[in-house]
Amino acid sequence: MIGSAGAILSVRRICKTFGPVRVLHDVDFDLNAGAVHALVGENGAGKTTLARIIAGTHRDDGGGMTLNGQSYRPAGRTDAQRRGVRMVMQELNLFPTLTVAENIFLEDLPRRFGVINYRLLHRRAEELMAAIGLRDLAVDEPVGNLTVGSRQMVEIAAGLSQDCRLLILDEPTASLTDRETCLLFDQIRRLRARGVAMLYISHRMQEIKQIADTVTVLRDGRIISTHAIDTLTVEEIVNRMVGREISHAPAARTAAKGRVALRVENLCAGPRVQNISFDLHKGEVLGLAGLIGAGRTETVRAIFGADRLTSGRIYLGETAKHVRIRSPRDAIAHGIALIPEDRKEQGLFLPLGVDRNIAVPNLSRLSCAGIISPAAERTLARRHIDTGAIKCAAPDQPAETLSGGNQQKVVIAKWLARDCDVLIFDEPTRGIDVGAKFEIYAMMADLAARGKALIVVSSDLRELMAICDRIAVLSDGCLAATFSRNAFSEQTINAAAFSRHTATFRTQGAAG
Amino acid sequence: MFANRSRLNKYPLLPFFVAALLLTVIASGCTKRGSQDGKPRIALVMKSLANEFFKTMEEGARGHHAEHKDLYNLKVVGIRNEEDVAQQVDLIETIIAQGTDAIVIAPADSEALIPVCKKAMAAGIVVINIDNKLDRARLEREGIQIPFVGPDNRKGAKLAGDYLAAKLKAGDEVAIIEGVPNAFNGIQRKAGFQDAIAAAGLNLVSSQSGNWETAKAAECVSAIATEYPGLKAVLCANDSMALGAVDALKTAGRTDTVYIVGFDNIEAVQKLVKNGKVLCTVDQHGDQLAVYGIEYALDILNTKAAPADKETPVDLVTAETLK
Amino acid sequence: MNNSHRRIPAWLTDYLGMAGALGLLLLIFGLSTENFFSAATFGTIANQIPDTTIMAVGMTWVLIIAGIDLSVGSVMALSGAVLGVALARFGIPLPVAVVACLLVGLLCGLASGLIVVAWSLPSFIVTLGMMEIARGATYLVTQSRTLYVSDRLEMITDTTLLGLSAPFLLAVLIVLVAQFVLSMTVFGRHMVAVGTNETAARLSGIAVRRVRLAVFAVSGLLCGVAALINTARYQANPNNGIGMELQVIAAVVIGGTSLMGGRGSVVSTFFGVLIIKVLGTGLAQTGAQEPTKRLVTGCVIIAAVVLDYYRRRLRKTGTEAAQ
Repeated sequence: MIGSAGAILSVRRICKTFGPVRVLHDVDFDLNAGAVHALVGENGAGKTTLARIIAGTHRDDGGGMTLNGQSYRPAGRTDAQRRGVRMVMQELNLFPTLTVAENIFLEDLPRRFGVINYRLLHRRAEELMAAIGLRDLAVDEPVGNLTVGSRQMVEIAAGLSQDCRLLILDEPTASLTDRETCLLFDQIRRLRARGVAMLYISHRMQEIKQIADTVTVLRDGRIISTHAIDTLTVEEIVNRMVGREISHAPAARTAAKGRVALRVENLCAGPRVQNISFDLHKGEVLGLAGLIGAGRTETVRAIFGADRLTSGRIYLGETAKHVRIRSPRDAIAHGIALIPEDRKEQGLFLPLGVDRNIAVPNLSRLSCAGIISPAAERTLARRHIDTGAIKCAAPDQPAETLSGGNQQKVVIAKWLARDCDVLIFDEPTRGIDVGAKFEIYAMMADLAARGKALIVVSSDLRELMAICDRIAVLSDGCLAATFSRNAFSEQTINAAAFSRHTATFRTQGAAG
Repeated sequence: MFANRSRLNKYPLLPFFVAALLLTVIASGCTKRGSQDGKPRIALVMKSLANEFFKTMEEGARGHHAEHKDLYNLKVVGIRNEEDVAQQVDLIETIIAQGTDAIVIAPADSEALIPVCKKAMAAGIVVINIDNKLDRARLEREGIQIPFVGPDNRKGAKLAGDYLAAKLKAGDEVAIIEGVPNAFNGIQRKAGFQDAIAAAGLNLVSSQSGNWETAKAAECVSAIATEYPGLKAVLCANDSMALGAVDALKTAGRTDTVYIVGFDNIEAVQKLVKNGKVLCTVDQHGDQLAVYGIEYALDILNTKAAPADKETPVDLVTAETLK
Repeated sequence: MNNSHRRIPAWLTDYLGMAGALGLLLLIFGLSTENFFSAATFGTIANQIPDTTIMAVGMTWVLIIAGIDLSVGSVMALSGAVLGVALARFGIPLPVAVVACLLVGLLCGLASGLIVVAWSLPSFIVTLGMMEIARGATYLVTQSRTLYVSDRLEMITDTTLLGLSAPFLLAVLIVLVAQFVLSMTVFGRHMVAVGTNETAARLSGIAVRRVRLAVFAVSGLLCGVAALINTARYQANPNNGIGMELQVIAAVVIGGTSLMGGRGSVVSTFFGVLIIKVLGTGLAQTGAQEPTKRLVTGCVIIAAVVLDYYRRRLRKTGTEAAQ
């Protein structure tokens, strides 16, 4: 097997353990030049660990690798890069205070007499950005000012800035819009034509079908199978990943419209939220679609009081009572919950245990005269760990040691425990494995069935179309259109999403 | 705003050059010399103006100036805390730049201030040293002479030590609480105590630094008193530390068996001397120390006499002298 | 995983580790001095820790919310100065003076907290400013003079219960109450949440600003309480508490509280204070000189923090799960 034709990288019997946990068991596989090799598996299956071992950020505990026929055991990231292996990280690795151009070329800034040659730097950066179709992004903009999606593109651009023979992409499209994804795929195809080998890690089956040549399924640290992509259906891949049969689509929901739970009138908050009005009914799931930067997150943050409203009114409940929400505290007191976009930065207290995380918004209920009852806290945590199917070793296991899907379940659990009437989910399934995704969909359906009102923000249009009763489309800060379930179609929703962005996207359209 | 930022990005060093240029212009505009009214200008450079001792010294100087306004102009500056050598050096450099006729200085360090004093003398300024004596050997090496006007701390400490020794017998255990390790007058006071201890044949069991501080001194005295149950006296290099010793011995229940000696004669200690909790302290006439220096500086400015050291009086303060 | 029977010892190992380190220090000093193991030594330590302990409690809370309070030493000095001036200069009745002293501390803490919260400023720089302001105010209030007030405050230092002094008992009580609030109350949980992740805390409906303000106010108030004890022992000296903020922070960090916020224990802080004080007293009792004392203290601080790192890593490996 070793040195099979065309293989750039051969991995043989790689093992890795973290403490008592064994994450990789004797993994064997090959990467070929000029091919995109998809690596799929549930979170915790060991995909990222394997990728990191190849990219040099982790060291294996056993086994070996060869790169171009020579033994390969990188001492670190730079060592791997020197040998032409690069990885675009799942977690962003950019310096927010440096500009786009500086970030991309950080390791190889063009210098003249030790002083950075900004003219050359900016020209190179512009060329590179143009190559991946990001012409409208100012290369002298500090990265901290960019949206998450744009940052991801910069991260990818940085990965492409140097010559590389093996490129690892870990969830590169997690925060990209469809359009940006298309541009990325063009770039991947170009690299493939140049003979670059690519390891592509993703949870999005459609994308894998579209871009990959080969797919390897990893489960519990073991290779389950490697196949040419055409020989497997999406269902087959998913079943191999989870090791059991799961129904693909969430149960079709009957939209039994209840009374109004939340009414938003002429909401304005900053430049990204302009005159947004809509009604949300009990038992309804309302999707918020739109491009990155269209103001979806900003809208839900404004409703939740996380950002200041400049104008507009919010009414709650059957009596349509006008409420003033000045802070998340007010929103929570009125029975609104927000599961935020970035669970690690905004949703969780990472070093604290699962029990503590769940307890935080519920302390008033768990205490008497300000003193917490540990028994009540434990009971609450146990109940939600069970009902939410959160996989953890003990209730006090730190949230930072959980997989992404379980972390998200903890964030959801802490709000379920409060029994809020209006729940807002911002990108609830980003970076989460398929199994956990379906569990979260089921949880949402159950909430709606119990008469809760849900708003779901997502960049994955298919996801919204599967789980929502209605989809409201934002475009450049305005509400462009609202579709009911029977009128859902990718084309019309996309058209609405682009309706007010045409000016901004003209240059990009020309490039694509 | 955006255009502005990108320009800065293109020329990242531009703001730096502009700032450097501005600083140069400002700095050169600030150096002016010469007295407006013809009276000699004297700068009194103190140690911490927060310290009671220096505060007294400063008030004495201001009082003297108020009575002799026609003779000279006075400027008093001080540093934040007693050990901040760098700040004192900066202060003197500023004074040199602004111009003055004489500097009367209580140096925060007996060596570190010599170079800047030399610089002042090179600028034609008369420099008089008070309070903390500059290091003689270093001055000689630098080839300059700065007159010291002030009390002999060693002699003062010896006075107090002798008074204590008269109450004890040879072989009795005593301890010294020193000032900060590098302070010249602290070293002198310790030497004076040691002179008296040696002369009377007392047994010095421990000598530690209390850093001039009450709390630190209390910590040391407590420990020493525990370790040496036969301890008969504690000699403190200043009165703040004597206050710490009083507390430590009170806690240990040894107030009646251990004598405490202080130095400086601050107000809070006078009470304790009167009621016998502190045996004695030493008055070096702090309120006059700066005045002696100023008078000597005026003397030199007027007579152009060659500078020489001048000793000022020190007196023992006991319950009898306070009556 | 054997999590359930690993959890309870985790609590214990925290304290056992600290107690072990303390025991080791005691052993070393016990062997290297004659009278270290004596009632007098422990009486002395019990007498010296209350003010530091009380301030360290406030500092623990402040560090837990990911802040820092550099002003504690100065605020204590200012509160003590107000107490001293009220008693010694104006002859105000004791209860009124005590209330004034506590109020001054509370107000300083509130002021720092308000500024931090209102403009979302780093507490490092705000409390650095407050440190200077309070120190300056102390010099103004005392006119840079030490005021002797022990005679009016004897009831604070001399009251004992079961052979333990009132200040010591008060400090222990404050430690216990603060630990209870931290680990068992909603407010305590909010502090931990704010310190761990401020954004998540806000989005979870916690009044982040109110929590921060309250913690700084408590820190200030505790400085006022510490001032009562400190002044009763060392008089109203305007230089009291200089550098104390660093000693307090060191004690808190030795106790395993994180400078990054979110993690800490008041009881462990108490052990941290004990370690620092045993070290100070022990070194003084061996008669070590200032350089040795500083070297050893520095090494112990660093060793404690390194040990804490390994203790936490040991605990973490059990729950570590990889992707």
